[in-house]
This record gives sequence, structure tokens and C-alpha cells, in this order.
Amino acid sequence: MVRRNRAYNSFEMAQAQFDRVAEILELEGGTREILREPMREYAFSIPVRMDDGASKVFRGFRVQHNDARGPSKGGIRFHPQETMDTVRALAMWMSWKCAVVDIPLGGGKGGVVCDPHNLSAREQEQICRGWVRQIARNVGPLQDVPAPDVMTTPQHMLWMLDEFEAIHGQKLPGFITGKPVGLGGSLGRKEATGYGLVFTLREALKELDIRPQDTTASVQGFGNVCQYAIEMYLRIGGKVVCVSSWNQKEQKSYAYRRAAGIDLQELLDITDRFGEIEKDKAEAAGYEVLPGEKWLEQEVDILIPGALENQINADNVGRIASTVKIIAEGANGPTSPEADAVIHERGVFMIPDLLANAGGVTCSYFEQVQSNQNYYWSRDEVLGKLDRNMTAAFEAVAELAHSRKLYMRDAAYVIAVDRVARACRDRGWV
Amino acid sequence: MAGSDSRVPAFDRAFFGSEQTFTRIGGGSLGGKAAGLISIREALEGAFPGGAYGPVRVDIPRLTVLGTDLFDAFMDRNGLHEVALSERSDERIAHAFQKANAPAEALGDLRALADRVHSPLAVRSSSLLEDALRRPFAGVYETKMIPNNQPDAGERFQRLVEAVKLIWASTFFEGARTYRGVVGEADKSEKMAVIVQEVVGRRHGDRFYPDLSLVGRSFNYYPSGRSRPEEGVVNLALGLGKTIVDGGLCWGYCPVHPKAPPPFGSVAQLLDETQTRFWAVNMGAPPAFDPIAETEYLVEAGLAEAEYDGTLAHLASTYDAASDRLSPGTGRQGPRALNFAPLLDFSDIPLNDLVRRLLEVCEEGVGAEVEIEAAMTLPATRGEEARLGFLQVRPMVAPDEAVDIGTEEMTAPDLLVASTRAMGNGVEDGIQDVVYTKPDAFQAKLTRVVAREIEAANRELVALGRPYLLVGFGRWGSSDPWLGIPVTWSQVAGARAIVEASLPSMNVDPSQGSHFFHNLSSFQVSYFTVHHARDSDVIDWNWLAKQPAVAESELLRHVRLENPLLVRVDGRTGRGVVHARRKP
Repeated sequence: MVRRNRAYNSFEMAQAQFDRVAEILELEGGTREILREPMREYAFSIPVRMDDGASKVFRGFRVQHNDARGPSKGGIRFHPQETMDTVRALAMWMSWKCAVVDIPLGGGKGGVVCDPHNLSAREQEQICRGWVRQIARNVGPLQDVPAPDVMTTPQHMLWMLDEFEAIHGQKLPGFITGKPVGLGGSLGRKEATGYGLVFTLREALKELDIRPQDTTASVQGFGNVCQYAIEMYLRIGGKVVCVSSWNQKEQKSYAYRRAAGIDLQELLDITDRFGEIEKDKAEAAGYEVLPGEKWLEQEVDILIPGALENQINADNVGRIASTVKIIAEGANGPTSPEADAVIHERGVFMIPDLLANAGGVTCSYFEQVQSNQNYYWSRDEVLGKLDRNMTAAFEAVAELAHSRKLYMRDAAYVIAVDRVARACRDRGWV
Repeated sequence: MAGSDSRVPAFDRAFFGSEQTFTRIGGGSLGGKAAGLISIREALEGAFPGGAYGPVRVDIPRLTVLGTDLFDAFMDRNGLHEVALSERSDERIAHAFQKANAPAEALGDLRALADRVHSPLAVRSSSLLEDALRRPFAGVYETKMIPNNQPDAGERFQRLVEAVKLIWASTFFEGARTYRGVVGEADKSEKMAVIVQEVVGRRHGDRFYPDLSLVGRSFNYYPSGRSRPEEGVVNLALGLGKTIVDGGLCWGYCPVHPKAPPPFGSVAQLLDETQTRFWAVNMGAPPAFDPIAETEYLVEAGLAEAEYDGTLAHLASTYDAASDRLSPGTGRQGPRALNFAPLLDFSDIPLNDLVRRLLEVCEEGVGAEVEIEAAMTLPATRGEEARLGFLQVRPMVAPDEAVDIGTEEMTAPDLLVASTRAMGNGVEDGIQDVVYTKPDAFQAKLTRVVAREIEAANRELVALGRPYLLVGFGRWGSSDPWLGIPVTWSQVAGARAIVEASLPSMNVDPSQGSHFFHNLSSFQVSYFTVHHARDSDVIDWNWLAKQPAVAESELLRHVRLENPLLVRVDGRTGRGVVHARRKP
């Protein structure tokens, strides 16, 4: 369940962020101009014959922010409040995210204004196939590679792939990522974002000269990303003392705390596929059940906001315990700019979303490479490369932050924007 | 002894670029072999200031150890316990391990290692039980060398991970399980750490190998000539140490008498019985894919290849037919003999002194007699330094029980076996089974068949918990089937006493196999060499033939005796007897 704070226009925020980095990099006018706006935007109608026989037209989008470094990459969102501006902002962030982990892809994003909860499977399939029919000439393995995102699933990706291949009369599994394993998907994909987050966290601990086994963490969210992040963090020796999760029935979140450390398997056994922990069973298992926002106030070394955007904000940033040394952003945009300033001021080590959750897109890239070759790697191969890429990305960002005395978030953006700007210049675009 | 060691820092992804030469990946124990190296490292640093002994650089080659926590994680997460403890063949177990996923928390480090390092790596076992005093486990688990020179880092990574999984799998191979059965250790109590280590050597075309490998022991259970047991023994071989460890032909000598004449009757015999083949890492065309074979990336070559590589000059002598003598070096034409004379007798490199010093330091550090392994490169060009890479140290077991065998006992009427060249020390009083190769049916070309039959008999006797006396012809544990019966230690691990007999058609010098003999002595297995033409040596074939057979084939016979045998060996004099306790 995604709750959104729409008080701000996300594209304007993305542009403001870019402007700040452009200043640091002293980018010239032409480069600023090309990076500040998407290179291409597509908006189109998708007519669908509904189950009741009526015709309905859905609005679809695809934005390719910048493809100087390679084919655009980014998810497709199904959301009733989707807007072109949201898609633009997210496409721009994808450009930076791909660049910060140095994978040869550009940034893109797409969406359809719809609510899958109110659509039958057949209707959803028609939307998927309709979306592809409208954009088939402008996307593809060498142009723009979509992936699942908010409220889209591997099943949606397969429908889209099938339509794309039917139109082109070829098998082109590299057109889209997030496919099921065995049908063009990659092993390791489900673990990638969570593991990737902990690979950067592990490197941050080395940077601060802290042993993982001497640390504790509190985690917001218990979906796919957080489950695998917790698994890997426990494996490297850490202890998670608190985890929060959404309660659909009560429409609020709860934090589950155990000072001696949570038992991951025990919690997974009482969690549904949306990441909701059964409150009563957790209580029976001896977990302290606290209001959801308490995850932030725990006296731990590490905070992992892994659920929603804007969760650490001006209102609650003051409640972060003085013991916290590292924040690793599993979610996209979990920290508001005001809170970010306070965290920076306090000297907490920030692993920004751009870097911390880039394991997902890195593995998507691996999937695309495998699909293009139609040759699939072992899980060892995928996760070994993932660790190497994430670690290298972290090292580059931390080194820049250190040498230029930058905040980690700024350093990540500086590296990313600089890489994309260079690619534009090298191609002679600006 | 093998606990998680805080003196060992975490792996540094720079590897060769790092100041740390000894690191770990993952937690838990680092295993016996690594623990041995940790404990001896400081002693070596103290004994060899600046890491040198004269012109020779002395160091422990750079390594990282995967702790036993990763082994546990690999087993648990992939549910491998069932297949590991099943009756499936080694090959099936190895394949199941290859298919399983390695722990993700180690993959990044292994990937970084493969990315950064382009030279050969040795992937070695370092189990909890390995090298513990009196439980030597030497040569029981696998070691895999990988060339690690593929242009693609992904390839290198894949080969490295395969090698690690093979070492993990070897924990449960039949040989290892039989061995643990013999020493009374449960399979579940064993855990495997894995050492990934730089290979000492130099590349010569498609071959990568050290100029020489050495195994030194500070106590010699098998002394010859005028050497005494406490003077120790050194074995040298060209190329990888596999030649020595597998019991192949190599050069053995006493470090106190390095110039003593070798135990060969003639130069011709010396030429026949010195090393002519050596092992190297194959850097050339990829071999057939076989991730479960220890020798997948190894290649065997002959002296002609070594001469072409330029590695014989320091090590070999040349036979001069006119004078029927050997002259050190390879300056003239003629057959080469690997007797290491240029190095031991004429070189500026004080190899023997260095080995003696190493043995001293290690003996002091370990507090017991030791066996050490090392590999060396010699200067190929002027100004280049010699390097000794110290690979392993483990304690030996010294005899502590005095047995006195007089001349009278050597001629007692109830003797089944008597030998003046017996090895080991002590008394054994519980053997009622004898497995022997039939002297009239034995042929050198059938030794592999005999080895298989012995393995089957051994398995049965181990399962029944019955110790036995094993009698056969030629060198036990020989890698060359024409020189003896090519068994591995695990194939005869239930034997409490072994007789190495000769026949006019199988008349070779006694065995030299290091690990095989290390195991014999560590388990205090008595070993008798009985020469058919020596008056003092006895073996009563007729009496054996009259005993009732439990099992019999064309080549092998297994008899069960009414009264237990009495085995006695005097380690100081080398006399040994087996009393049949029959009525005269």
C-alpha cells in the first residue's frame, strides 16, 4: 500500500536537485538544458474492451530522460494518480541511478493511469498489450527496456513481451526485465535490491571502522527489499531489533521490537506476500508491538527506511536516537530535503537511495544482458557481480565525498550527473 | 586450536595490492591447516628477519581463508546434509555441491579476487580435524590448482567457485569418511575451511610451476644408511609438490648428511628411480570441463620439457656413459638425473641450511616433531632473487614406547614375519585377519586390480571393526602401478600392520610416499619391508596358505586366524616381528 505526499511536484523537486548538482559541477548551459528535461516523452491512449462489453480508454506514458550512456531503463507503473510529471521525475532519477552504479543504461519510466485492483486479469492483459502496441516502435532491447514497478508484476511483463515479440515477429527477451525465472528472468533478481543495500552498508561500516557484529539496526518495512536486506545483514553479523510493517485491516503500521534481536524466519512464517506481519502472532511470539513510527526512535546504530517516500521528515527527524550512525535508504526518497539537512548536520553517514537501492536495477541490467544472449548465469555469478558492482559504486561515491568533503547524497549525484553529462559531451550533443 | 582468530584481518579486495598477506572471508574457524600457518607465522618472522635467509626470500604465500561459517551456510541453505551423508558416489556428491549456491555474502570477495588476480591459485582444504595432533588427515581432502588466467574475469570467478565447492564436497568423499571412521570421528563433527592461496612458481609457456617443492620431516621413521631417525628427512621434487605427496619418485635425503651417497646400487638404478615426470598448472588450452577432478588444470611433463623451460640447470646432473658417472649440471649432452646436486653441492643458495633452520624453528614453534611443505623458485636471471614459499606445517607423532627386540626373537619358531627394516614403534596384539596378495599369482601389470580388491576387503573389515595385517608386493601407495600397488591411504586405512615384500619380478627400493608414510606413522601402523633374498627377513607363505580363507580371488586372499597375532616393532633398531602364536 503506497501512501503518497503530493504536496510537492516531484519533477520540480528532481529539477531542483539537479540544479544544485549542476552548480557543484559547474555545468555549462547546453548540458544543463539537455539534462534538466527528458529527451523524449510519449503520451498515448490505450482503448480496452472491458469485461462488461463497454469501451474504456486508458492514458499511457513513456518518458526517456536520457540515453547517452545506453538504452533507457525504467519501470512501468500502474497507478490511478499517475501523472506525466511523476513519470518525468522518476525517469530522471533512473538516469542518475544507472550512472551511479556505472551500468551502460539511460533513464526511462512509464505508466498507465489505472488501478489494477479494479481490473480483471483479462482487462489488465489488454492494457499491457495496448501499451506495447502504442509504443512498440520506440522501445526495445536496444532503445528502451521497461521493467515492473508500482503495481506491475512479472505476469504483466510477460504479456508485454509476448505482444512485443508478436509485433516484431522475433523472440526478443531482452525487451523487458523482471520476467519470471525460466522465462527469461534472472536468478538472484528477488534478492538483488536487499542484498545490494547491505553490500553498501557493509562498506560504510568499513569506512567508519565498525564491525558489523557490533551493530544493531531498525528497519521500516518488511517487503521484498527489507526481507532480503535483513537476511544479508544478519549473515554479516548484525542484529535487527525492530521492524515495522503495514497492517491492511487497521490501515496503519506497527513496529515489532525485540531487544535480543528478531528471528527472521519466525517473522517470515507469519508474514503474507505483501510483507504484512500478523500482529497477533507477533505479539504471541514475544515481540513488543509499538506504533509504526517508533521504528525511527530506536537506539540503534543503523536505520533502514525501506518502505515509502518522505518517511523521515521535518516533523520526526528530531526523534532519531543519538546512537544512529548510518542511514541506508532502501526506499526511493524516504528522506525529505529538510530532514536530510538535519541528518547531514548531525554527521550521520547517509547511504542515499540512489546508491543503496541500485541493486535492483543492476540486476535488471544483468537480466537484460542474459536475455540478449539467451544464456543464463548461475546465481553465484549474478550475486558475485552484484556485490562487485555495488561495492565499486560505493567506493567511488565515498572517495569523492571524502576528497571533496561532500555529503554522501551530493557525492552520489555529482558522480551520476557528471557521468551522464560527459556522455552527452563525448557524443557531441552539447 | 582452530578457533576464529582475531589476528586474521578481513579480506582486502586489493589482494596483491594489500599490505595484508593473510586474511579471512567469513567467520567461524579457519581450520587446522590455516591455524598451523597462523601460529608459525610469527616464529618465521622472528627467525628470518626481513623475510630473508641469505639470498633467499622466505615467506608464506599470500592467502585468504574461507571460514567454516561459510561451509555451514552452504550446507544448511542448500540442504546438502542428506546427500553428503548418503551412500552416493563421490562424483554424485561433487555434482550436487557444484549445483548448489555458494553463500552470497562471500561471492563479492571471491569475485573481487578473480577480478584482480590473474595468476594461478591453489584452493586447499583446512578442516577442523586436519593437522590436529595424532590425527593428521594429510592428503585426505582435495587440493585444486586453478590457472586463473582466462581473459574473462567471469570465467576466473566461475572456476574459483567451482574449486571451493569441490573442496567442500571432498569433506564427504568416501575416502574421507572411511578415514574418519577409522579414527573414531563422526562425519558431523567435521567442518571445512578453505584456503585460497597464491601458487609459488613461474610461467614457462603453457606450464606454471615452482622450480622445486620440498617436504621436510624433523623425525624420520624410515631412516636409511647412516642417518638416524631424529636427523629427519627431506624430499625434493621438480614442479608441484603433488609428486612428493602422491608418493611418486623424488629425491630423499637426510638434511644432516646432505652429501651422503644416495641409496642406489648403481648409476643406472639411480637413473631409473629418480624423478622423470613433474606436475605443473596448465596455463594453455582449456582442458575438458571436469570441475570435480582435482587434476583438471594440472599437466604432467617430462625432463625434456623442464630442460626446454630452463628449470633443470640448478637441479639435474648428467650421465656420462664413458665414465659411468654423473656430473652436476646440464652443460653437456646425456641423460639427465634429478639428484639436485647443483643446488645441494655447488650453489650459493643455502637450501639445505635453510630447510634445517625451518625444521628447527617449526619444531620449536609447534613443540613437537614436524612435517613441513614448501615450494621454491630459483633465480632465472642474474639479480633475481630466490624465493621459498612456506606452505604448511603439521606436527608428527614420535614414538614414546620402548620395545626391545633381540636377535633371539628374530629367529623365534612362531614367526610369521621378521624384518630388519621395520618402521614404526610399539606392540599390537589384536589382529586376527590377514589380507595378502598371493605370491604365485602376482604380476606387476595387475596391481590396479589388486588395489581395487584390497579396497573392497578394507571396506568390509573397517565396517566390521576388525584390524588386519596387509601383505603385498612392491611399494605401497605408489603412484606408478609398475612399482607397487597403487592404493591411496584410505583404501588400506583399516590395516594395523603392513608388509611390503619383494619378489624377483618386483624388486624396487622401499616406498617414499610422504603422506602415505606420514599416515602410517601417525596411526602407528607398523610397516615391514621383507626382501626375498635377505636371510634375516622372514615371511611364512606356507603357513598363511594353510589358514582358512574368508574370501579368496585369483590374486588376493583373506584369512582369519584362531589366535591373534602379536606385532612388535623396535623403532630404534628397525627390527620388527609378527608372531603367529602357533604351536611349534
